[in-house]
Amino acid sequence: MAHAIDNAPAHAIDNAPAHAIDNAPAHAIDNAPLLRFEDLRVGYDRRSILPPITAAIAPGELWAVIGPNGAGKSTFVRTLLGLQPPVAGRVERAPGLRMSYVPQQSALDTIFPISVNEFVLMGRQKPGRFRGLPSRVDRDAARAALEEVDAADLARRQLRDLSGGQRQRVLIARAIASRAALFVLDEPTSALDISAEQQVMELIGALRARHDAAVVMVTHLVEDGLERADRALLLDRDHEVALAATASELRAHPAFAHLYGRALARAEVTP
Amino acid sequence: MTDSTSWHELFANLPIFKDAIITGGLAGALLGFIGVHVVLRRMVFASSAIAQAAALGVALSFWVPIVVDPIRHAAGHQAGSDVHLVSSLLFEPVLWAIGASLLATLVFIANPVRLHLTRESLLGFVFLVSGAGAVIVGDRITQEAHDLSAILFGSAVVVQPADLMLVSAATVVLLFGHLLCWRALIFVGYDPTGARVQELPVRRLNAFLFLSIGIAVALATRALGALPVFAFSVLPAMAALAITSRMSVVFALATLFGALSGVAGYAISFRGELPVGATQTALAAAFVGAAILGRFLVRMLRRREG
Repeated sequence: MAHAIDNAPAHAIDNAPAHAIDNAPAHAIDNAPLLRFEDLRVGYDRRSILPPITAAIAPGELWAVIGPNGAGKSTFVRTLLGLQPPVAGRVERAPGLRMSYVPQQSALDTIFPISVNEFVLMGRQKPGRFRGLPSRVDRDAARAALEEVDAADLARRQLRDLSGGQRQRVLIARAIASRAALFVLDEPTSALDISAEQQVMELIGALRARHDAAVVMVTHLVEDGLERADRALLLDRDHEVALAATASELRAHPAFAHLYGRALARAEVTP
Repeated sequence: MTDSTSWHELFANLPIFKDAIITGGLAGALLGFIGVHVVLRRMVFASSAIAQAAALGVALSFWVPIVVDPIRHAAGHQAGSDVHLVSSLLFEPVLWAIGASLLATLVFIANPVRLHLTRESLLGFVFLVSGAGAVIVGDRITQEAHDLSAILFGSAVVVQPADLMLVSAATVVLLFGHLLCWRALIFVGYDPTGARVQELPVRRLNAFLFLSIGIAVALATRALGALPVFAFSVLPAMAALAITSRMSVVFALATLFGALSGVAGYAISFRGELPVGATQTALAAAFVGAAILGRFLVRMLRRREG
C-alpha cells in the first residue's frame, strides 16, 4: 500500500493513525530499491508505537529520519537494521545487501583501548565469520578508508583520545571499509561544532557520490535533516505520525505544519 | 622467618607443591586473558558470582550424598575413606562445580531486558543465592567442612593431579578458542549493534565467552578456591589496562600478570607462611597498585618534560 503525499489526507494528525506516504522516485523503480517497507509497523511486545510505514530506499539516496526525542526513531532504525522484528508488515532487503551502522559517539565505551586502525578494521569483519586476523587486503582497505576521510595520520591514535569531529570521521571510515551499500548513521552531527559538522556532512555527501551508497541519517534536528536529505521520514510517536516524503512535500503537509509550526514548514529548502 | 619456610625448602619440596604451583600459574594465565573481556564489558562481578556458584556446586556434591544415602556416607567415614563417599562419578565435585557454573552462566546469557531487569541485578542475585546456599549447605556437612572452606577462601595448599589435568586442558582449549575469536569478541564487546548489523554471530560469540568464563571459573575454583579465581579474572586485566593502550599488549600483560600472581603468589605464601589464595590475590592487587603508580609517575615526568 503506497500513498502519494498529494493524496494523503490533510487530517492525518486529527484522524490517527497517520498515513505513511511513499513517494519513491522513478529511478527507485528502475534502480531496484535496497530496502522496501510494506505497511511496516514497529514497536515492542507486539504493540505498534507508530502508524504503518511504506517506503523504499534506493541506491544513492540520502534519507533523514527525523522527529523529536522519544519519537520512535531508534525503534524504527533497529527494525530497519534487522535488530528487532517488525510488529507487522514487511522489510524487504535487496539480495546480498550489506549494511553498516555508524553509532552515536556516546554509544562507544571509552574504557576500551581501541586504536583508530583497529576500529576501522572492524569494518572488514566478514558476515558470519569470527575467526582469523586481518589480511593484507583488509589492511589496505582500512588505510584507503582512513585516507578518504582525511584521517590517515590518526591511524595509531586511540579512538577515545580524538576530538568529536575526528572521531566521527573515523566512524565513517569504518563504514567505508565495510563496503556496505547502505549506511545508517545515528545522530552523526550531535555534539559537533559547526566546522566539524560541515566536514561530516561533506563526507556523507561523498559517501553517496563515490560509493553510490544510500545513507539513512537519524537526527532529532528536524530543520537540519530536511535541509540536507533527499527524502525524509518524519516520526512522532506522541502524535501518531509517520510521514515519508521529500523535504518540500513534508513542509507542505498539514501534519508537519501542525507539529512544527508554520515558520519551519514554510522555510525554503536549501539545495 | 624460620628455616622451614626458606626458598630452599620450597625448592626441596617442589615435587609436592609443583602441581599447585603449575595449576595456579595456568589458571592465572587463562583467567587473566579472559578477564580482559570481563573488565572491559563491565561485568567484573560475573566471575565472582560464577565462582560462588561453583563453590555452591562443590558444597552440594558433598551434601547431596548425605541426603541420598546417609548410611553409606557414615560407613565411608568410619572406614576412613578419603575418596568421595558415594564413589560415583555422579557426585564428583568438579562436575557439580561445572554444572552450577554453567547454570549461573545461563543467567547471564539470558536477555535481562525481557524481565525488566539489568544484568548487574542478575549477577547480584546469583552471587547472593550461591553465597547463602554455600554457607547453609556448608553448615549441614561436617566432615568436608575443611575442604569446603578451602574452596570458598582459596586456602588449599595441595592440588589434586586430576584438577591440574583439567585446568591444563581447559587452558589450552579455551585460550586457543579465544585467540581464534579474539578480534570478533572485541568487536562484539565494543560495538554489539555494529557487529550485529555486520552479521557477525554475536549470540554465538557471547555464548562462547560466557561458557568459557563458566568452565574456567568452575575448574579453577575447584582447584584453587573462589577468592583467587575472582582475583585472577579481574586484577591482572586492571593492571594491564592501566599500563598500556594497545589491545594486544593488554591481553599479553594480563595473561602474564595472572600467571605470575598464581606462581609467585604461591611461593610467597609458602615463604611467609600465609594463606595461599589470599596471597595470590594480594600479589595480583600489588600489580594493579604498581601499574597505577607507574602510570601516574610516567604522566608526571611527561608533564615536566613537556
